[in-house]
Amino acid sequence: MTTKMKSNSRASEAWLRRMADAEDRCKSVAVGGLAHELGLIRPGAPEGPRVFGRLIEFARRARGLSVEKLAEEADVDLAELVALERDEDVAPTPRTVYQLATVLQLDTGKLMVLAGLADVEDPALNQAALKFAARSEPTARLSKAEREAFDEFVKVLVERSDGA
Amino acid sequence: MSKSRVDLVRRSDGSLVEATLVDGVEPSDLIVVERAWTIVRARLIGRLRAASVPRKEWPESWHWNWERKAPELAQLAASGFGILSDEDWQGLMLIKTAPYVARIEADRGKPLVYVDYLEVAPWNWRIPALGEEGRYKGVGSILFREAAKLSLEEGFHGRVGLHALPQAEAFYESACGMTALGRDPRKQDLVYFEFSREQAQKFLEKGGD
Repeated sequence: MTTKMKSNSRASEAWLRRMADAEDRCKSVAVGGLAHELGLIRPGAPEGPRVFGRLIEFARRARGLSVEKLAEEADVDLAELVALERDEDVAPTPRTVYQLATVLQLDTGKLMVLAGLADVEDPALNQAALKFAARSEPTARLSKAEREAFDEFVKVLVERSDGA
Repeated sequence: MSKSRVDLVRRSDGSLVEATLVDGVEPSDLIVVERAWTIVRARLIGRLRAASVPRKEWPESWHWNWERKAPELAQLAASGFGILSDEDWQGLMLIKTAPYVARIEADRGKPLVYVDYLEVAPWNWRIPALGEEGRYKGVGSILFREAAKLSLEEGFHGRVGLHALPQAEAFYESACGMTALGRDPRKQDLVYFEFSREQAQKFLEKGGD
């Protein structure tokens, strides 16, 4: 492939500054599709994001996967995954949630709720999420208690996935 | 692929910064873009959520995945433009020269350049709620200018069409001077905008607004 430098008419400084200032007076310049095209964007679940990172970490460790390996298998950005597990106030993208749900064999819809990307009135899920958050600590290996907490939470995710 | 020099405005001091406009973005470039933009987007959205900023106020393109748009570049009538600076992609635009046609009455049915996607890098987003001013401004304008120029080169007389996200409607209508032709039920009810020949000429010469 050849690359050539074009000698096209460059925007004048006056034009650029005028338009750049106009951009700043507007909220966005984006052209494309809206998030609701995906059917995902509704008011979020308040407890979700914190639990989401913890759940992903536990599910990964329960399968003996390193962060790098999970990122590779799920084809998600490593830095994003690390930030998610560390609860660095990072919001996962719908694609990331979908990819992780597929690899970790978790229910996509429920994970979307936990990630704050979808809102489903589900007191049982919220309760299970809170319980899981309270009983889990991010250590290198899953303790028996953590394992039980994780299994219990996954059970709720799986049990309720059909009717949600 | 061709490259040309363009300028951007650095928000921190208002100075002009030379950048490279790439005509002929490759699918592999979209992968690079997505890898670089994803984590920045995610961190900003996380901060918006932590600050309890209502979701309707979030940048409406936060969920996009440019990597998934790579197959569209394989279409004959599609091409991608991007702006490179600091070794980072500062913004991208995908356009199509077919099969879209003009809807403005005077030119109805005539070919135009359709802007399929346009977005600036998340580090260029200006988000007052977070105190984020963004690195460069003018990225969207320079990209959109290329769409109008391409329309002239293709013999479409500057005709350009696009569906703007709601937060961008003011930019295309007021700042660029396009005509709003109403909500389009075939495209998520987004407002469709179009340049007539005269509007495009005015935009290229003077800018809108």
